[in-house]
Amino acid sequence: MTEQFEPRIVGFLCNWCSYAGADLAGTSKLKIPSSLTPIRVMCSSRIDPVLILTALLQGADGVLIAGCHPGDCHYNEGNYYARRRFAVLKKVVDSLGLESDRLCLSWVSASEGQRFAEVVNEFNEKIKKMGQNPMKKKML
Amino acid sequence: MNRKIGVYICECGPNIAEKIDIDKVIEAVTSLNDIVTVERYKLLCSEAGKNYLTEQIKKHSLTHLVVAACSPRDHQLTFMEVCENAKINPYLFQLANIREQCAWVTDNKEEATKKAIRLTKAAIARVRCHSPLEKKEIESNPDILIIGGGIAGIEASLQLAHSNRKIYLVEKNSFLGGLIKNFEKKYPEMQPCSASILQKIETIKKISNIKIFTDSEVQEILGFFGNFEVKVKNKKEKDIESFNVGAVVFATGSSLFDINKNPQYGYGKFDNVLTSLEFEQMNLSKKIVLKNNKTPKSVAIIYCVGRTDKGYCSEICCMYSIKFVRYLKDNIPDIKIVNFYSDLCIPGKSHQKFYEQTQGENIDFIRAENIDITKKGEQLNISYDDETNRKKNCIVDMVILSPALEPSVDAAKLAEFTGVPLGDGDFFAEEHEKLNPVSTSTQGVFIAGCAQGPKSISDTIIQAEAVTGKILSSLIPGKKIEPEVKVSQISESFCIGCKTCLDICSYGAITFDEMNKISVVNEVICRGCGNCVAACPSGAITLKHFTFNQIYEELKEAVQ
Repeated sequence: MTEQFEPRIVGFLCNWCSYAGADLAGTSKLKIPSSLTPIRVMCSSRIDPVLILTALLQGADGVLIAGCHPGDCHYNEGNYYARRRFAVLKKVVDSLGLESDRLCLSWVSASEGQRFAEVVNEFNEKIKKMGQNPMKKKML
Repeated sequence: MNRKIGVYICECGPNIAEKIDIDKVIEAVTSLNDIVTVERYKLLCSEAGKNYLTEQIKKHSLTHLVVAACSPRDHQLTFMEVCENAKINPYLFQLANIREQCAWVTDNKEEATKKAIRLTKAAIARVRCHSPLEKKEIESNPDILIIGGGIAGIEASLQLAHSNRKIYLVEKNSFLGGLIKNFEKKYPEMQPCSASILQKIETIKKISNIKIFTDSEVQEILGFFGNFEVKVKNKKEKDIESFNVGAVVFATGSSLFDINKNPQYGYGKFDNVLTSLEFEQMNLSKKIVLKNNKTPKSVAIIYCVGRTDKGYCSEICCMYSIKFVRYLKDNIPDIKIVNFYSDLCIPGKSHQKFYEQTQGENIDFIRAENIDITKKGEQLNISYDDETNRKKNCIVDMVILSPALEPSVDAAKLAEFTGVPLGDGDFFAEEHEKLNPVSTSTQGVFIAGCAQGPKSISDTIIQAEAVTGKILSSLIPGKKIEPEVKVSQISESFCIGCKTCLDICSYGAITFDEMNKISVVNEVICRGCGNCVAACPSGAITLKHFTFNQIYEELKEAVQ
């Protein structure tokens, strides 16, 4: 059975910017890989590292966190906290010998449907090259 | 709990039906736990669709509802209303977005169908963990605190008082009127300014429901939209008065850029170098004279003073400088006036005309850089680089400097104790430049006039009127306020009292209970971002409707 690898990517999108940007990609009929399953949260700062690691442990091949651009957070500064936590988490993931490249943090505004499509396509290509999340194989 | 979940898939005309094999989605979720019924319908957001859903909820005695349709940004509220009407808690509902983020972005029907199944299963898994949430209503106080007695504060007070609101107007100086009290006329119509503001001040003093505090400053604002507790201190008598209001307006205005930071203009060093404000005052007193009491024969007006230091254009300096040319010509018809500008900013429907009509004999406009002022006998020598980069000199009797506007000194202090953020140039930040230009990120706190950024008298009045409209339409006497329902909650038993959450909350919604040594969320102030949840080292905080379990269940299906 040589089925082509179809990644599973979880996208945590903030309600005000990135989720709206993803909706705009839809209304603009842009193409987005179906590997992405969006999960709406109110702010990128809600996404604690435990949720990101849980996604990896559950077998996600990639985890995308997208929020408002720096300075544009609906809640003043939530995205700055998200960015800081993400930077720390990447280091922790690396030091555990796991692939931090499976994690991606990006800023997409409500008017950037095109950018959302680009971010997801690019990340999807990267994950495709990386192949399946090894943690998923182990669980199988 | 015995759950009865109904799943409804919207065809959205051809939008979803043509792109997704809806029958396959139905097949994939029908046998899941707790599912009572799975149906497809042509357009669920239509009146017929909403009636259909209401009937279905009753017919199957559903406890939870899942709709797979468009974006929650479109019709989440529509379906939550259906739930309410059908007597199930609107938070026991989840909308799977299979249109914008599935049908419309996926070409391949098979792939789109698989993704729709994942999204629908995720919504079902999530809704199983939903808890009913109850709306809260709190009483509100319709009174208003206005900080700053300049034109913005006066205008807002007058407008709001006309609607029978009680106003507390707090001014730090001993008089009302702010900066514009010094202006004889306003541009471009050259109508009386000072006289008209004095008239307004007289009117305001006669209105019994406006309480004026002069020589006073606000010391504390605690609480939230509809219920702020305010403390105002009289600086002279040192006594403090406390009262409650429902909304607050920052109309703290602006002050002039400190010219001492630009010593090249010789301000404070040489006689007859004035700031624009000093010249306004001189003009108002009808005595445009030099230090030696003689009438000046020539005047230079220097625009854009401090613009590079501040990093922004103050919008009004070009126009009022051109107005000064009018003042000067009206008082001393044969005076020579040289205007040194770097960029002329004269936008708007009437300003260009005003500028063109201010041209004439003995009026020069020179684009200049690297201006330096020195003394030459009784006169002042201005050396500058002209447009061709050549060094030139100009000798005049008097120099008027038009400095940038910066926020009033009180703004930073007010920002600090109220938590309302400052934005560009340290002016108060509006909630959104275009969508919410007079609101701030703190609900119930509004900004008007130069507190928000440099602006003209007419733009200031527009903002004062906008604030009035915002307050009258949101803070209605007798109407209760509905705070956010999806807020954070701290578990008393898990909280270790580390206070991490206190520091990171942008809204000051978390306080510390010293008795029990735990953090407590003020649910009325909390906006539900969830930042504290991610920050809490002991996992004591839960964000209602975005709990770990709810996201986890959604996540598990998302990776299938």
